[in-house]
Order: sequence, then C-alpha cells, then structure tokens
Amino acid sequence: MASSDWLNIRGWMDSIIGWTLDKTHNLMPSSDIGLGPLGSINLQETFSSIQPGLHLFIFTSVMCTVVFATMMITLIVVPYIERKFIGRLMDRLGNTMSARSLWVGEGGVTAGEWWNSLPFGLGAPIGMVNRALNKNFGNDHHTDSVTRVGDRGYHGIWFLLPGFVAAVADFVKFNTKAHIVPDKADRLVFEVAPVIIISTTVMVYAFIPFGPHIWAANPELSLVFMMAIFGVAPLGVFFAGWASNNKYTLIGGMRSAAQLTAYEIPLLVTVLGIAVLSGSFNIIEIVDFQIQSSDTWNIFLMPLGAVLFIVTMIAEVERIPFDMPEAEAELVEGWWTEYGGIRWGLMFAVEMMRAYAACILFALFFLGGWELPFQDTLIGLPLVGGLFAILAKMTPGIAILLIKAYLMFALFVWVRASLHRIRTDQILEFGWRYLLPLSMLNLALAMIMRVAFWDGAWPFWLAPVVTLASFAIFVVLAIDEDKEALENSNRIYHTQTLEKAYPGRRE
Amino acid sequence: MAEMWISMGPQHPMTHGLWTLKVKVDGETVVDTEPDLGYIHRGVEKICEARDFTQITTYCDRLCYASANTWSHAYIYAAEDLLEVEVPERAEYIRLIAVELQRIASHLMWLGAYGPDIGNLSIMVWCLREREMMMDLLQELGGSRMHYNFPRIGGVKRDLPYGFAQRARAKLDLFKQRIQEYESLFDESTVFLVRTQGVGYTKAEEMVNHGVTGPNVRAAGVDYDVRWAHPYSVYSELDWAPAVERSSVKGADCYDRYRVRVTEMVESANMVLEAIDRIPGGSETHHEPGDPAILAKAPSRAPEGTFGSHHFEDSRGESMFHIVGGGDGRGKNPYRVSIRSPMFITLPYASKCMIGYKVADIPAIMGSFDPCIGETDR
Repeated sequence: MASSDWLNIRGWMDSIIGWTLDKTHNLMPSSDIGLGPLGSINLQETFSSIQPGLHLFIFTSVMCTVVFATMMITLIVVPYIERKFIGRLMDRLGNTMSARSLWVGEGGVTAGEWWNSLPFGLGAPIGMVNRALNKNFGNDHHTDSVTRVGDRGYHGIWFLLPGFVAAVADFVKFNTKAHIVPDKADRLVFEVAPVIIISTTVMVYAFIPFGPHIWAANPELSLVFMMAIFGVAPLGVFFAGWASNNKYTLIGGMRSAAQLTAYEIPLLVTVLGIAVLSGSFNIIEIVDFQIQSSDTWNIFLMPLGAVLFIVTMIAEVERIPFDMPEAEAELVEGWWTEYGGIRWGLMFAVEMMRAYAACILFALFFLGGWELPFQDTLIGLPLVGGLFAILAKMTPGIAILLIKAYLMFALFVWVRASLHRIRTDQILEFGWRYLLPLSMLNLALAMIMRVAFWDGAWPFWLAPVVTLASFAIFVVLAIDEDKEALENSNRIYHTQTLEKAYPGRRE
Repeated sequence: MAEMWISMGPQHPMTHGLWTLKVKVDGETVVDTEPDLGYIHRGVEKICEARDFTQITTYCDRLCYASANTWSHAYIYAAEDLLEVEVPERAEYIRLIAVELQRIASHLMWLGAYGPDIGNLSIMVWCLREREMMMDLLQELGGSRMHYNFPRIGGVKRDLPYGFAQRARAKLDLFKQRIQEYESLFDESTVFLVRTQGVGYTKAEEMVNHGVTGPNVRAAGVDYDVRWAHPYSVYSELDWAPAVERSSVKGADCYDRYRVRVTEMVESANMVLEAIDRIPGGSETHHEPGDPAILAKAPSRAPEGTFGSHHFEDSRGESMFHIVGGGDGRGKNPYRVSIRSPMFITLPYASKCMIGYKVADIPAIMGSFDPCIGETDR
C-alpha cells in the first residue's frame, strides 16, 4: 500500500477528466447516423471504444504539465537560496560560516526587524529573543570606528524580493541577446548540443515524484530510466565543447568526458546500493519502503552511501569544487564559452535544475521523501502525539519534500562557499582511487544488510548501531592528524628570524 | 591530443591585467609558455621628462592601481636624493605608516584575487572587506581612496589627523584577528593545500639570477628585503623582521608565496602599530599642512649632471627610480627618469615556472606571483 496525503492531485485530475469525457460521451447522439454509401456510424459507441486511450493520453499530458509547472515554480527558490545564502556566507560583515549570524545578525545590525510586521504583536517575543541573542552573542566590534563596516541598513521586507525578481530580469536580458555561431564551428552539433542538455534535464523530472500523488510517470524501473537520462547531458557537454571550434571549450569538453567516466560509475553503484537496500528499482517504492516497510530513513542505514551520493552528485551537476569543465579561472567559461543569449541562459538554468533534481533525489533516497522527521515517534508521544498526528495529516507531502531539498541545496551552496576547485588529475584520482572502491563497499554493505538482517523489518538495533558507528569513524578521521608526517615534512610554516644584513647602514 | 598554442589574454580571467600568456599545451599539460607584454605601455618615463618634480608624484601613483602609495614614495625618495633634502623624522614615520598600510592593502588585494584563481569567491569578498579598513585609513591621510598623491619632496602632504592613532589601532587589531579567519579557510583546507603545495616550484638561485625580488624571492628563503638590507626610512629603528619562508630543497611553491605574504601583512600591521607609538611629537599632535615639522623646504631645480636614485621595497619587489637633473636648460623638469619595475622582471621568469604543470595550475601559479601590469608596462 502506497503512502498518501490529502493533496491528491492525480486523483482529482483523474476524476475531472473522467467526468468530462463521460459528459462528452453522453452529449453525443446515441442513434446510428447514416453516412449514405459509407454505411452508418454510432458516435457514442466509437467514442466509448477510444475513451480509455483518450483518458490516459489527456491524463498523462495534464500530469506532465502539472509536474513541469511545479518544478518551474519551485525552482525559483533555488537561485534565491544561492544568491541570499552565499551572500550571507561571503558577506562583508565577516561572521561567515556561523549559523548564529544568519539568525541574529551582527555588529548590532540585524537583517531587518521582520518580526515587527507580524500581526497582533506576535513577533514581540521573537524580537526580545533576537535582541538578547544579538546583545550577548552577536559579533559587535565594540568600536565606533569599525561599525561602519557593519552597517547593512534596513530595507524592509522587500529585501526578500530582489532574489526572485532578478531571475525574471535575467531571463528578459538573455532573450534579447543575439545568437552568434562561431566561425568554422560545426553548426549542426553546435545547435543540437544545448537541445540535448536541456531536454534530457527536463526529462529527468518526469520520473521524480513531488509527492505521493504528484508525479508524471512511474514505470517499474523508474530509477534506471532516471539515472540513464541523468547521464546523457555530459555527452551533450562533450558535443558542445567539441563543436564550438574554440580551444577553451575543447579542453572543457574533454574534462567533462573524463569526469563523466570518473564519477558516473561510483554514482551508479551508489544508487544500486540504494536499490538493493530498498529492494526496488522504483523511486516511489523506495520512498514507501522508508516510510512504511522499513520505518527508517535510508541515511541511518547507509550513511556512507549518502556521503558518496552527495559527492558524486556535486560532480555530476558540475558545482564547485568539481566544476572543472567550466573552470572560469583558466578556461574562461569552459565548454559554454561560445554560447550566448538564451542558449547560455537556459543552460545556466538547466545547471540549477540539475542541482535541484540532485537535491530532490537525495531527499527521496535518503531522507524519507515526504515523511516528517521522526514522524512515527512523534505521533507515538504521550499527550502531544495527537498534535503531531494532525500536523502530519495536514502538511502536504510536497512541502516536506521541498523543504528537505532546499536544505540540501543550502548544503551545496555552503560547500561552494568554503571549498576551492580541485585540479583535473586530482579529481580523476579521487574518483577512481577512493570513490569507486567506497561505492563498491557501500554496495556490499547494502547487500549484507538486506540478506542477513531483513525479514520484513529491520532489527531494532541496526539503524542506531550503523549511525553511531559511522559517526564515530567520522570523528576519528576528523581528529586523526598524522603528527609524524607533519614533523618529517620539509614544510615549516613559520618565519625565520634573521640577523640584519647591514645594520645601521644609513647612519 | 596534439600540441596546441592557447593565447590566454589580453582579456582573460587569469591575467590580472592586460597581457597575454601564450601557452603550448599537450592535452592538459603545459609544454611551453611565452609572455607577451606591452598592452598598456603609457610612456610614463617620457611623460615625466615634461613635468616638474612635484608633478611627477601623481604619475607615479598611477604606476600600480593596487599599490599607489609605495610607488609615489619610491619616486619621492629618489627625488630627495637628487635634490639633497633632509626630511623631518616625524614625516618619515608618517610615510612609513602610509607605505605599510598600503602594503597590507595591496597584499589583501592579491589574496582576494588569488581566491577566484583557484575557485573560491568567499575569500575575495572577505579580503576586500578588510582592504576597505586600510583604504579608510589611507583616505584619512591622503584624501582619496586609490591615488593618494600623499608624499611631498621633503615631507608629507598632511599630518596624522586627530584620532587617527586610535582608529588605526582598532582596525589593525581587528585585522590581525581576521587573518586567522583566512587561515581557517586556506591553511586548514585540504583542497587549498593540494592545489598550492608542490605546484609552481621556483629555485632561489634561479630567481636571484633573473633578478626576481620581493615576497616571491623571500618565499624561497632568500633573506633580501630592501627595508632590512639597506634600511632607508626609519625602518632600522623599529623592531621587526622580514617575512622569509624556509622552503624545501625543490624551491618555493605557491603555498610558500601565499604564506610569505600573509606573514608580511601581520609584520606590516605590527610595524604600523609600533610606528604610531614611537612617532616623534606623539600621535595625538597635529601640525598644519606645510609645517616644518612635517615638510622641509626643497629646491625645485636640480643642476645639470646630478643624479639621484633610490631603491625601495615595493609590495611586489624592489622598485627603483633613477632621476637625472636637467639644469637650467630643462627648467624645473628632470632630464631623464627611469623606473625599475619588479614585476617586469618577474613575469618572464614566472611564465617559465609553469612548464610541466597542468592547465588548471596556470592561474594558481601565475596568481601566486602577484602580477600587476600597470607597473610592468609603465
């Protein structure tokens, strides 16, 4: 039995279309219509014979439109997160990387006292808490001379808007630019490459469920279909780089091909691990497995797989630190140097779309899709359990899924703001030497867990033990500095103390 | 893949200015390089022959947009050598403060530009944030934010403003804390270390033979700092040491060049703090512009055949001015001004350093030398 919520868009659409087709059927004359020498035709009967096929066709088209519209509307938030969050991480105030400053502001200046605009004075406690936090823990410089650096100013609630509206402005700008094909470029391939990249990325969303009842297609092997389509775009990148007749794009395309081989395989093996653990190649069944059968999110059973999935997906969507096909420092703009106008804009949007798809997939595969965190535990609580039950009942699955996906994207942005770009040979070495064996190990672990421990439910100790063991390994790896190697290294990071070469020559 | 030449520049993210680096690549490996300079040659030396000694200062400001104060000071010291002016000690201290603040601002500009070179934009924003504090302090002295025209032959344009000492102390203390933020983003990041360590080795002997100076050569362990070896201003009276990295047998890599500049920034900040404490007359007194305590009288004409020269530790190496007096026939103008630019000498050597490394290393190596094309092309 599949999970479900009240936002039953598929059911609604199904009944609306069925009702309309039935009404159309009833409007038709029920008697035979003579066509002279051609015989006679009964419109109602003919319509009845094609009605199921027509129903399926209209229904699928409508659901495709719904999913596409959902994707495009919710996608607006992604560049918004990128703009605002990276602005916060890189901001001129400096209290970067601290989650506290995101909330309370710094230097005595908050991002805006938004709580004052809440009705009925609801925001007063928030304001008190925030002011207390800011006073005691905010990064105040205590010096008048440096507060000028911290003066952000208050721009009202409208400070939220530019992140959204700028996307529209960008779109208008890209649309008005000329389309220029470079001299001696391979015209056909040059024009086809963006079509390959953009169309395959949009096709990925056909298999992504936004909720238990918001999806376009659900074949038995949807996971395989989706990963296959996800892997087509690098081929288009390679085409684009090769066809542009430009040395930078050529190198960018070659890098993309090298990255494809180094990252696609660990990614697919990791996804295979998910399929083995969940016992299904169907995305919706994987989610339902986490919500119902196993009652545990996959991230608690497969933390290694989650890390591998994030790393390979960042490489797959070509974001820093793995964005070497478009390394703007040495390759200008990499493989898309020669594209301009709406093609460039669409390919940039498609890159966002791919990152967004990666985030949604992570939420589906590892974070339980549209389930509230610890839903069953919270509902089982005494006294307040009923409140959580109402909350879980009222919240549509798409909202929970998208919140998880946006948080994942914020993680991507955080990675981008903190790390540097890795070199080509290092990226390949990392992929072949570490990611591939680790993904194989992950697959083996998934097999062992599935074969040895699964009998309709996991043993109660499995998820805590796996999670705690992974956390312990992480901590050990994080604090384990190779002191000996540091001492034997010929790098000594300090300044020499010198005698003056010619002391007091000026006298 | 067959070998091919790629022309990186004159407009390319790697170049930090207007020049071309032709790179011959074999796949991803750099086989040969060839620098091509001269895109913004303005003929500063020739222009200077038609200006009198006070007017030349503004042209020297414009030699390097990132480090204007050091260049105008380099000229002023050479002109004082030519015109034989004794500078008041208070003016020397103020000059030292101005030059060292400018050095911090220049190195911050370099560090900020080096972040995008290896793919991190955060560090650029952070560095420009701190550079803003230095710019504010320099603005209090010189009146503008980029080309200060601050020194005068025989002294400085203005005394320290009221409250400058307090503001400088607050900002430099904050700056020294912020340096630790950079180290948390750079030195503790494995990705940064694998991108810079073991990349772009330069040997000390080779660099000395080529005439490379400044932080680039100090990164390889050569203890040559003009301020230290031939102390010119009041550098010999302050307690400081030049930043020198002890590099490996293979030479200095990009990480050494990064470390030496960070250390030099801290050293400069300490120098400014000490100079504020030790300035004769105290940092809280303020003289009117033109007061003999900060500006000595200087002749406006130099006799024919005399010459003055001075070498100066610029942010990027040893800069040098050589000025020949013109006599009455040239009026107040010099007969000849010639400029030694450290980057003009460093760039050809730096271009050859990247042979054998990958294409992705080109910005990492080139950026670590801190090129400034304004002074290179003059």
